[in-house]
Amino acid sequence: MKKEYWNKPALGLRERLYLLEVIRGLCITGGVFLGNMWKWLTFRKGALTAYYPEEIRSDYSPANRGRHVLTRRENGGVQCVSCNMCATVCPAYAIEILSAADFDDPCHPKSPERFEIDYSRCIFCGFCVEACPEDAIRMVKEVPDFPGFDRDAMWAGRDLLMNWRPTGDPAKQYPAASPSPVEVQP
Amino acid sequence: MIELKIDNQTVEANEGETVLQAALRSGIEIPHFCYHPCLSVAGNCRICLVKVDGRPKLVPSCNLPVAPGMTVETDTEDVRAARRAVMQFITLNHPGDCGICDKAGECRLQDYHVRYGEEESHSREPKHHRPKFSDLSPRIVLDNERCLLCSRCVRFTREVSGSHQLGIVERGSHARVERLEGRPFDDPYSDNVIGLCPTGALLSRDFLYKSRVWYLEPVRSVCTGCARCCSVNVWRRQREWHVRALGAELNRAAYRVTPFENPAINGPWLCNKGFDLHRRMARKRALTPLIGGREATAEEAVQEAKRLFAAAGNPAVLAFAPASNEELAAFRDGLGRRVQVYTREDYHTEPGEVAEDDFLIRGDKNPASYSIRALFGNRPYAPAARHDLVVIWGERVDYHALGGAKLIHLASFEPAGETAADLLIPVSTTFERSGTFTNFEGKVNRFEKVFDKPAQVLHAGDLFGRLVP
Repeated sequence: MKKEYWNKPALGLRERLYLLEVIRGLCITGGVFLGNMWKWLTFRKGALTAYYPEEIRSDYSPANRGRHVLTRRENGGVQCVSCNMCATVCPAYAIEILSAADFDDPCHPKSPERFEIDYSRCIFCGFCVEACPEDAIRMVKEVPDFPGFDRDAMWAGRDLLMNWRPTGDPAKQYPAASPSPVEVQP
Repeated sequence: MIELKIDNQTVEANEGETVLQAALRSGIEIPHFCYHPCLSVAGNCRICLVKVDGRPKLVPSCNLPVAPGMTVETDTEDVRAARRAVMQFITLNHPGDCGICDKAGECRLQDYHVRYGEEESHSREPKHHRPKFSDLSPRIVLDNERCLLCSRCVRFTREVSGSHQLGIVERGSHARVERLEGRPFDDPYSDNVIGLCPTGALLSRDFLYKSRVWYLEPVRSVCTGCARCCSVNVWRRQREWHVRALGAELNRAAYRVTPFENPAINGPWLCNKGFDLHRRMARKRALTPLIGGREATAEEAVQEAKRLFAAAGNPAVLAFAPASNEELAAFRDGLGRRVQVYTREDYHTEPGEVAEDDFLIRGDKNPASYSIRALFGNRPYAPAARHDLVVIWGERVDYHALGGAKLIHLASFEPAGETAADLLIPVSTTFERSGTFTNFEGKVNRFEKVFDKPAQVLHAGDLFGRLVP
């Protein structure tokens, strides 16, 4: 017996004829293509497509989970206490931390000597951010420069995660922002 | 035999046992910090309070001898309330820095806090601060804030190691564990207090921040430091926590060594030399076979050894100290009957090391000397015999003392001398194979493989059968 689905499409004559619908679809795609082409030819902003990575989209949701950042203390040192909660909770085993001891600073005796995230494994679930007891790791909405040709080159180390400055985060101030890629308005 | 009732369960106990011991033995869990089966009863942590029928107040079960007909309850509402209150007191000034504490994951205080404690502290006072991260000894870091004054470490130095080097000084919230005034904590068994400590107050300087404990797993092994052959746990990284970016050598590293409880040989204790076993094993290894100083493959090395044996008229073997019983049996069957066997002791007491005491440390620093003596007797090398080929199975050998004979050296670690042997064959360490040792009392102790052996390294036990032409 053929199974009946609750959302079985009810096709009218127009849809059954098929050709009319195909032409309608081609008109939509063609319209977008020509519109983009026109904007590109006349050097106007607002094409639906962006020239990644020179341009990045600015309309990521504020809740989007993109690249990680390691926050800093007031004195510029890394906030992370190397407790390994993020590495432990990570379902993709993407985080590896090597700890260092510094008893001259009794308030911050343990810190990460190396902090490595494997972006070829990361599934951007955000558990690391949730598990962090120190608000030391965050995910910002931007997703720059992820693609690569080599899995081994897709590790992000401590320096990259600390020094990469996303544009603006109201909750915690970062040291001076570095020039960021151009944002485009679609 | 005394019969008593704990939690409506009839439990049999021996005369003189305490309620806590009887309960633990029959699988009833009563929390305890200061009680340890090998130490005297201190009764100062009060977490083991239980309700005894006919007594108006709760009683610490660690100090309560069993009596016939006694009815004990360990899980009533007032016992739970008392435990919650005790946890409030114990954690009153505890810094709660489990995130950076090496003990987290195997911490009694942490476990009990989750099981028996409350989420929030009732106290609104600021926490009282005490000295943090002082060096109790070069091997041990002491954090007084985490200490709950159970006095296990103090009792250990008084009752087990006998050095009397620790004590608790001052009173109230100033009380802290301290060394004898002006004296170092140089007990040869000092590292045991790290495992004894129910919280993270005493931590190993060597293991400090190396890894979180839940990334590691223990493998049963044997300490090769002396003829006692104590059972140890060697902690390696679990398979799913192997690292990639931080370097593959971390996956092959023994992170720490702790005692494996073996009542027949070492009980739950181990000497500091045993705690350092992984550091001795991390010496520079001999990894590639060398034929006259030239690198070769393992197969070429075996062929070369065969050739040397075929050419030799009067071969001899100097037998090794850390060889397992299985290897020695393979040696006796494969090679031992065709050659002259001499025995030697590779390891001797080193400067600064305790030579021998009446607790664990033995004067004979070679783990296999009992088996070697049983198989081959005690025959030191005689240069007068004019051997033209000598197989050295061991380390720390002076090649010059062997005369002009051709030398085949089976070594686990890189030989120290300037001159090279005619043939160097790398062999596996005790971490890379399983087997047994027989200690000086004739007790057999088993060890298991911790790591795979490197590619060009051979198991000495497999080698001997192949050497004979």
